[in-house]
This record gives sequence, C-alpha cells and structure tokens, in this order.
Amino acid sequence: MKIIVATSVAPFVEGGSTFIVDWLGNQLQARGHEVEILPFPVSESYPELLDQLLAFRLMDLSSHGDRLIAIRTPAHLLKHPNKVVWFIHHYRSAYDLWGTRYQNIPETPEGSAYREAIIAADNVGLREAVKLFSNSAVVRDRLSKFNGVTADVLYPPLLSPDQYYNAGYGDYLLYFARLTHHKRQWLAIEALSSTRTPVKLMIAGCADPGAEPYVDDLFRLVERYGLKNRVTILPRWIPEPEKIELFAGCLGVIYFPFDEDSYGYPSLEAHAARKPVLTTTDSGGTNELIVNGRNGFITPADPELIAHAMDEWYGDKELARTMGEAGVERIEELGITWDNVMERLLA
Amino acid sequence: MKIVVLNNCVPFLRGGAEHLADALAAKLVEHGHKALVVRIPFRWAPPEKIVEHMLACRLMRVPGVDRVIAFKFPAYYVPHPDKVLWLLHQFRQAYDLWGTRFQGLADSPEGREIRELIIRGDNSYLPEARKIYTNSEVTSGRLKKFNGLDSEVLYPPLLTHSQYSCAEYGDYIFCPGRVNATKRQLLLVQAMQHCRTRVKLLVAGCAETREDAEAIESTIRKNGLEKKVQFVNRFISEEEKVDWFGRSLGCAYIPYDEDSYGYVTLESYLSRKPVITCSDSGGIEALAREGSTGRVVAPEPRVLAEAMDQLFLDKQKAQRMGEAGLELVHSLRITWDTVIEKLTK
Repeated sequence: MKIIVATSVAPFVEGGSTFIVDWLGNQLQARGHEVEILPFPVSESYPELLDQLLAFRLMDLSSHGDRLIAIRTPAHLLKHPNKVVWFIHHYRSAYDLWGTRYQNIPETPEGSAYREAIIAADNVGLREAVKLFSNSAVVRDRLSKFNGVTADVLYPPLLSPDQYYNAGYGDYLLYFARLTHHKRQWLAIEALSSTRTPVKLMIAGCADPGAEPYVDDLFRLVERYGLKNRVTILPRWIPEPEKIELFAGCLGVIYFPFDEDSYGYPSLEAHAARKPVLTTTDSGGTNELIVNGRNGFITPADPELIAHAMDEWYGDKELARTMGEAGVERIEELGITWDNVMERLLA
Repeated sequence: MKIVVLNNCVPFLRGGAEHLADALAAKLVEHGHKALVVRIPFRWAPPEKIVEHMLACRLMRVPGVDRVIAFKFPAYYVPHPDKVLWLLHQFRQAYDLWGTRFQGLADSPEGREIRELIIRGDNSYLPEARKIYTNSEVTSGRLKKFNGLDSEVLYPPLLTHSQYSCAEYGDYIFCPGRVNATKRQLLLVQAMQHCRTRVKLLVAGCAETREDAEAIESTIRKNGLEKKVQFVNRFISEEEKVDWFGRSLGCAYIPYDEDSYGYVTLESYLSRKPVITCSDSGGIEALAREGSTGRVVAPEPRVLAEAMDQLFLDKQKAQRMGEAGLELVHSLRITWDTVIEKLTK
C-alpha cells in the first residue's frame, strides 16, 4: 500500500508524538509499504491556531496514496478519501484544560469563540475518518465526551522492545523523561527526602525549550534536601545505548506526569527491561497500563506515600523483580504490539 | 541555528529539488546547525488548487526556529521573520511559459485571474525574504524581469561525494542523464551520421518513455550507427558515471532552455573534460565558454558533428578546455561551504 502518515510537530522538539510517527513509518516500511511521512510545523499559540487549521484543510492530499494516517492534531483536518485517524491528544486548552489553570485561551467572548471554532473544526475532521483510534482510554473518553465520536483504543508500542535488557535490580530509581514542569521530576526529589532506605534517584532527559529555569530549580531542590549523594540529574539528550543501560540497571522506573494522555513510553521501556513502574493516581494514562501491586505501584501524588513505595522495592528486590516480570505479561494482555497496530490501522 | 528548509512536495515523488533539500539539511547539520526539511503538498490541477495552496502556505506557521530557507512556489509564501530564499524556480506557467504551449493555465478570464493572483502574491511576499538567492542566472533574470526583484546567484553544488578524475582523453563523447525530448539526446545521435572522424558517442541514462528510447534506437538502426553510438538505457550508478567521464574525450549536454547550469556540466569539468552545449540550452551558458571550456554551438546536427570532430582531432585542445573548465569551477566556488556560509549569514 502507499501510505501517507501526516502529523503536526513543534520543530526540533522530540517526544512521544514524534516517536509514534517515526516508528509507525519504520514498521510500515518493514512490512513492504511505501510510506510518505509528512510532519507539518504548528504553533500552539491560540490566536494563530484557526489560521493553521484552515491551512491543513486547504492542503490537498486527496489524490495521493491509498490511505492517510493522521496522528497529531490538527492532522485529522487533512482531506483524504481513506483517512484513518490515530488520535493522540486534543488541543487540550480548548477541551479538558478549559476551566483549569492550564487553560491558555482567555475566558472572554473572543476566547470562547476560538474554543468553539476549534471544537467545530475537530468535529468535522474526526467524522470524516473511515476509522478512528485513540492512543489511550483517557483520550477515547474525551473524544466521546467533547466531540461525540467513538474511538477504539489502540496502544502505541515501542519501536524495538527487544533492545532492552535486564542487568539486575540496582540501587537507583530511574525517572527518564523530558525535563519540564508537568512531568514533576520535583515530586520524585521531594519523595526521596522522605525515604527511610538509602535508595537513589537518577533523573535523565532533555530540557524542553525554555525549561532551563525549571532544571535549575531541580538542582536547587536537591541541594536544599541535602540529597546530592543520592540524586543524579543528567539534563541532556541521552544516546540510545546509554538510555538502555540506565533502564537495564535500575531498581524500578518512576513516571509522575500530571494528567497525561497516554501511559508514556518510559513505562513501556521499563517493562521491556522487566522493571516495575511507580506512578501516581493523577498521572492519567499510566493508570491504564499499571495495575497497582501487580506491575508497579500507583500512589496518590503525596511525597510520603511515594517514599513508602520507593522503600518497598529497595527493601525487597524480589518484589521489584516479580512486578517487573508482570509488566511483560501486562503488555501482551493489552495487545501492545506492532502486529496488532498494523492489523487494525490497515484493516 | 535552528533552520527549517521549506520545500514543496508531491507525495511519493522525489526529484532534484527534494534531493537538494535533503543534502542542504545534512550539510547544515555537518556545520553545527539543527535542520529539518518541511515539505508542503502542492497541487496545481485544477488551477483553483494553486490559489488554495498559496493560501495554505500563507496560513502556516513555523514556530521555534531561527531561520527558514525556502526553495519554491508556493512554499516561500510561509511567513517567518527570518526567511531566506534559495529560489529554484517560480511558478513558470504564470511567467515565462505563459503564452507558450507549456502555459498550463487557460487563457480564459479565470486563468488570467489566477495568473494575476500568482504575480501579485509573488510581488507582495517575495520581498519579505531577507535575501533572495537563486540557482542560476536564468532564475535571477526572470525574477528581475517579471517581478523587478534583485537576487544573487548561488549555484547548487553536487549532491554526491563522488571523486571525479581524468583517466585519459578517449574516443567517445559522453552524454549522461535522463533521456527525454527536452534533453535532446536524439539530436546528438542524429549528428553522429555527419561526423567524419572516428569519434563515438555514449548516451547513458534511463529513457523517460518508451517513445524516447525508440526514437534513439531507430535512428541508430536506420543510419547504421551501431558501431559509433552506444545507448545504455538504464539507471547509471555513480561509479559507472565517474568511470565513463574519466575515460571520455569530452561531454555533450544540450538540453533545451534549462533553468540551471546542469550537474552534468560540473561533473564534466571536475573530470577535466570539455563540454559541448547549445546556444539555446539556457542556464548551461553560465558555465560554458565558447572555445575556452568547450563549445557553445547552434542546435543543428552538422554543427554539433563538427564540434565533436574537432575535439577528436585535437585532443590537446580538448584537454586544455577541460582543464579550463576545472579552473572555472574552482573560481566560482561551487561548494557546500559557500552555500552554507551564504544561507546562514
């Protein structure tokens, strides 16, 4: 098949939404399809958004390819007779973040009009899809609640989980993610200060553009709690082999984003290395993958309770092992494989 | 710098401009920049689509980058405070091709209106660029003539790292590249029947259509040129091309009214071989100097035959001209270092 994979990007920012596209392209090609990946830059600034929605509407791909797979919003506004949407998140400010302090559109008549226009545009684009998937139950539920459309959950796998290996259960917990406030690396540092065991913390990942002050804050926090000997922060891009090694050697993996749409690739990477995942009840998508007490812990976002869970693995590495191994089963149970993704996207 | 290279695209098709964009991005990265190629779909039929894509480009944003480098219409309409153009060509149907059989747009009220929109759009948005570079004197000349805009020529360097060299000055004239009517390989084959020396011709490259191949093959057959002309109708590897240039007497490259100087010309000079081209070949003129780096002659079989014969009869002169070509290439500094320096200035 000739397949166009279209998405939006923030230029030079890598993350889950770029990986899903690259990896999907890779897997389609590996199965003999001809693939054209088209990432379009998009500004997230709301006054510029409607113009850009119209731009997506005007670009005509309708006579090219047997299928168009749209990933990140607003790629689903592209017109194509055989459009499959694998929806990974809304322009959240107009949706679930409206009415919260994360809302970036003002609550003025003008702001409300912007919001309504965004929702109306999405309603059109989403309904044109011959098939609609979401990357999580959270996103599926939002699609149903706000847009009145039914999506099937299709969990995105890692590109090659086989690269990951297990080198035992060391003395450090790994938090591997972009360094940005809503990933809440600070919560992990705060929790560590309440632990009773000498468990260590490794924080690694690229700072988001403009997040340098946040990174400075993290270092100050470590200083303040006197945790310099127990916390390592690697605020940089981590090459693949180094990353795999960090996962291989850790005791378990921490992932505390605030209300994220999906389980996050670090959770899959943890399980690929047979490591358990510690997450919080308000982290969003992680709660779909992690079953509390089986392949990880889910605690309230409270430093004391998190500290308790951290200590538990440190004190009982057999428990960490059992939970890590349960993660492998859990991934199979949820059908998080490329074979499954291909079968459903190309059906 | 964080740089986005903006180009057009027709999905699943990759031509010279796409390869140039990829090469530029790779070279920018080699020079310590971050680079990303953004490809915007462009559809020009039916003609109303042209206007929709102009508008789409105008409505797009490229946030978080220090510079965009745009190649083509309508990708260069995308607004950005720091935009530099490396213009490969405008929408020629509205300009130099208007009034010719390649016009494309109908000479109807609607067609004229779309043409007007394109010209007005170009006049409004091209000057937004901090600087306009073009790929050739031809493109610069059109931009000046039709839009009154100044630009600087920045020749695209070769995309590959092949090491061209001269092995000998052999008996054959080499003509590599895609085979089609506008590249006029057929004219060279026709010329061969008028040659008086033992000079040979090697035409190497994929024929675009069955008819293109058939025309050449039947001309060879009808004129009994089997011993003088060899036609290798297939994709030619870089290694083969380097080898065949190296052992050739010279090169013939006679496209009709081409926009750019032609990579073939550059490859020939790097192999120290003279180039025979025609007075109506367009951009090639920028690199061809009659009698000094090769021959610039009328597009007629007998005239071309004589030019080929002369190279054969005076190989020392062929060598001198080939070496002059190499010097010309060096003096024009057609290198990626030059390109990166200018485009990131």
